[in-house]
Amino acid sequence: MSTALLEIEDLHARVAGKEIIKGLNLTINEGEVHAVMGPNGAGKSTLSYVLSGKPGYEVTGGTIKFRGRDLLSMPPEDRAREGLFLIMQYPVEIPGVPVTGFLKHAVNAGRKYRGEPELDTMEFIKMLREEGRKLGIDAEMLKRAVNVGFSGGEKKRLETLQMTILKPQLAILDEADSGLDIDALKVVAEGVNRLRDDRRSLLVITHYQRLLNYIVPDVVHVFAEGHIVRSGGKNLALELEETGYAEFVKEK
Amino acid sequence: MAGLIQNTALIGDDIPRLSGLREKGREAFRLPTAKTEAWRYTRLHALKADDFVVAPSKFLAELAGGEENGECACCRGQDCADDRSECSCGCGSREHENGCRCQGHHHRRESLPFAAYELHFDNGKFVPVYPVLPPGAEVMTLMEAVITGEERHLLNKYAELAKYPFAALNTACLEEGLFVRIGRNVCLDRPLAIINHAVDTGVNLMANIRNLIVVEEGAKAELVEYFAYEGNPKARYFNNIVNEIYLGAKAEFNHYKFQNESYKAVHIALNLVRQKKGSVYGGFCLQKGADLGRNETRVQLTEEEAKAEVNAVYLMNGWATLDTTTDIEHLAAETYSSQLIKGVVGGEAKGVFQGKIHIAPGARKTEGRQLHKALLLIDTAEVDAKPELEIFADDVKCSHGAASGDLDKEQLFYLCSRGIGEEEARQLLIDGYLAEVLARADNAAVREWLSANIRETK
Ligand SMILES: Nc1ncnc2c1ncn2[C@@H]1O[C@H](COP(=O)(O)OP(=O)(O)OP(=O)(O)O)[C@@H](O)[C@H]1O
Ligand SMILES: [Mg+2]
Repeated sequence: MSTALLEIEDLHARVAGKEIIKGLNLTINEGEVHAVMGPNGAGKSTLSYVLSGKPGYEVTGGTIKFRGRDLLSMPPEDRAREGLFLIMQYPVEIPGVPVTGFLKHAVNAGRKYRGEPELDTMEFIKMLREEGRKLGIDAEMLKRAVNVGFSGGEKKRLETLQMTILKPQLAILDEADSGLDIDALKVVAEGVNRLRDDRRSLLVITHYQRLLNYIVPDVVHVFAEGHIVRSGGKNLALELEETGYAEFVKEK
Repeated sequence: MAGLIQNTALIGDDIPRLSGLREKGREAFRLPTAKTEAWRYTRLHALKADDFVVAPSKFLAELAGGEENGECACCRGQDCADDRSECSCGCGSREHENGCRCQGHHHRRESLPFAAYELHFDNGKFVPVYPVLPPGAEVMTLMEAVITGEERHLLNKYAELAKYPFAALNTACLEEGLFVRIGRNVCLDRPLAIINHAVDTGVNLMANIRNLIVVEEGAKAELVEYFAYEGNPKARYFNNIVNEIYLGAKAEFNHYKFQNESYKAVHIALNLVRQKKGSVYGGFCLQKGADLGRNETRVQLTEEEAKAEVNAVYLMNGWATLDTTTDIEHLAAETYSSQLIKGVVGGEAKGVFQGKIHIAPGARKTEGRQLHKALLLIDTAEVDAKPELEIFADDVKCSHGAASGDLDKEQLFYLCSRGIGEEEARQLLIDGYLAEVLARADNAAVREWLSANIRETK
C-alpha cells in the first residue's frame, strides 16, 4: 500500500484578488513522480507558490495535507523544514548574501527543527563543494552572492544544488529546465535523480517532453484554467507535444 | 541654555594661546535653532533638558597633587563603591593601583579583539597610560602639545567656529584630548585606538574631547575610535568630540569609528580633515548607539591627487536620531572622493543624511561620488536625506544618489522557503545589504570587529 505524501482537495486560491486555482485535486504518494503540463498562465507557478506558502497567495477554499499534517497552517520556513522544496521558475538575486553562508543557515535551520546538532563549518563546506562539483558549480561561484550575476542556467544549477543539500521529501520543480542547454539539462536531471528513492516524490512542472525523458514521470497531469483537466501515463506528455492544449482550453 | 558652557576651572587659563582659543569658542557658541540650516533635520531636544554637568579638571587636580599622593588613576581617590578584593575580570589580581579598591586599574572593561596601540578615556578624562609607539610616532595630551608648542598652531586653525556650533562649545571647554603625530614616512604597524568609556556615575556628564592628529608626508597610519558605555544602557551623558586631522603629501590614513553610546546619550562629533597632494583619507563610521548622534566629516582636498573616502553605516531603533553629515571640498584639480552611506532604521527612529560635494573653480578633472541608501524596517521609521552638489569647475565627474525602502519581500520569501526562520532571514538580508559598505573597511580585523557588532543586537 502506498502512503500519500501530498493530498490536495478542492483547492481554490487567489492572487491579487483574482481566482487562479479553481477546485484542484491532486494526491502524490511517496516515491512517485508527477508531471504537470499546461498552457502559459494556467496557474502552475501559482500552485507551487501556494504549496510553499508565499505571502500574497491566498487560499480561499480546500485543504492540503503534507505527510498527514495541515500544510496551510505552517509558515513557509516550517514547510521547508518538513521536507518541501521548490525549484523556482525565477530565482531571486540576493546581493551581499553569499551562497555558502546562506545554505549553511538553511541546512542548520532544518537540523535544529529536527533536533539534530548543527553541522561543523568545515564539514559543511567540504560537502557543499563536493555536491557543487557534481552539478558544475565551482568553489568561486559558492562564494558569490546568491544568484547575483548568475546566468539563467547557473541559477537553475544552484536551485538544484540547494535541493541536493536540503534533501526534501517533496521537490517541486517549476520549469527547472527552462534556460538550460542540453548538457546542463542532463546535469540537473541527474542531480534530481540522485535524490530519488522510494520515499521521496517529485512534482515536475514543465512545458517540454525533453526533461521527462530524464526524469520519467509516473503520472502526467494537464493543468488548464486552474485545475487538472486530464491525467494519464507518461505517454500523455508525448501526445500533448503533438496536439497542444487547444482542446482543454476550449473545453471550458 | 546657559548650561552647556559652565564656569569650570580649566588648566592653563593664564596661557594666552589657550585662554584666547577658549574665548573664541565662547563667543562663537550659539545653540542651533530650528532655522539653522545645517541642523534642520536633527532634533536637538535631547539637549534641551539642560542638565549636563562638567566634571572638574583632572589636570588641576593633578597639579594640586592628588594623584601623586597615592591616588588611583581610575577612581581618582574617591572611595570606590566596589569593595571586592579581587579584580572582577577573573585575572585573579588583588593588586589595586595605589591600594585603592577600584576595579578598573590595569585593564579596561571594553577591549578590542585585535592588536592596537590603545589609549583610553574614562568619562572624557584621559587615562595616562601610553603605549610604546615605533620611533617617529608620538602621542601626548593636547595640553602638553599646546604648552610645549608641539602643536605648531595647527589647533583650531581651520575650524570655522561660527559654522560649527558644537566645535565652538568644544573649543570653549578646551582641555581634554590628545595630540598624535606620525612622523615623515613612518608606517604604524597596527592601528592606534582611542577608546572612550562611559561609566554611569549617576550624574549626566558632558565631556568635550579634542584630538589633533598630524600624519606627516609619506606616513601611514590607522585610527580606531571607539565609544562604549558600561553598565546602565540608559545612562544620560553628552560626548562632544572634535578631531582635527592633517594629512601631509602622500600620507595615508584610515579612520574607523564605532559609536556605541548608551541609548540615552548624546554624541556629537566633527571630523575636520585637511589633505595635501596625493594623500589618502579613508573614513568609516559605524553609528549604533545614542539617542542623538551626529557624525560630521568635512574633508578639504587642498592639493592635486588627494583622495578621500567617507563611508558610514548607521543602525537604529527606538526613538533615536542619528545624523551623518559630510562636506567634501574639492579645492584642487584631479582630486577624488567617494562616499557610501547605508542606514538601517527601525522603531520610530529617524536617520538624517546631509551630504555635500563642493567643487571649487579650477578643480578640473575631479571626481566626486556619493550614494546614500536607507532600509526602513517599518512604517514609523523615517529618513531625511539632503544631498547637495556645488560645482564651479568644468570637466568633472560628479554623482549622487539616494534610495530608501523596506526589505525585499521576494528575497525574504526565498530565504524562508529554504527553511530559514523569518527573523534570521531578515538579519541575513540586513547583513547582505550592509556588506557592500563594510567591504570598504580596508583592515580585515577591524572590519570583522565592526561586522560582528552590526550583527549583535545589544
Ligand atoms: N502576483 C501576481 N499578481 C497578479 N497576477 C498574478 C500574480 N501571480 C500570478 N498572476 C496571474 O495568475 C495567472 C497564473 O500565473 P502562473 O504564473 O501561475 O502561470 P503558469 O501556469 O505558471 O504560467 P507559465 O507557464 O507561463 O509559467 C496569470 O494570469 C498571472 O498573470
Ligand atoms: Mg510558471
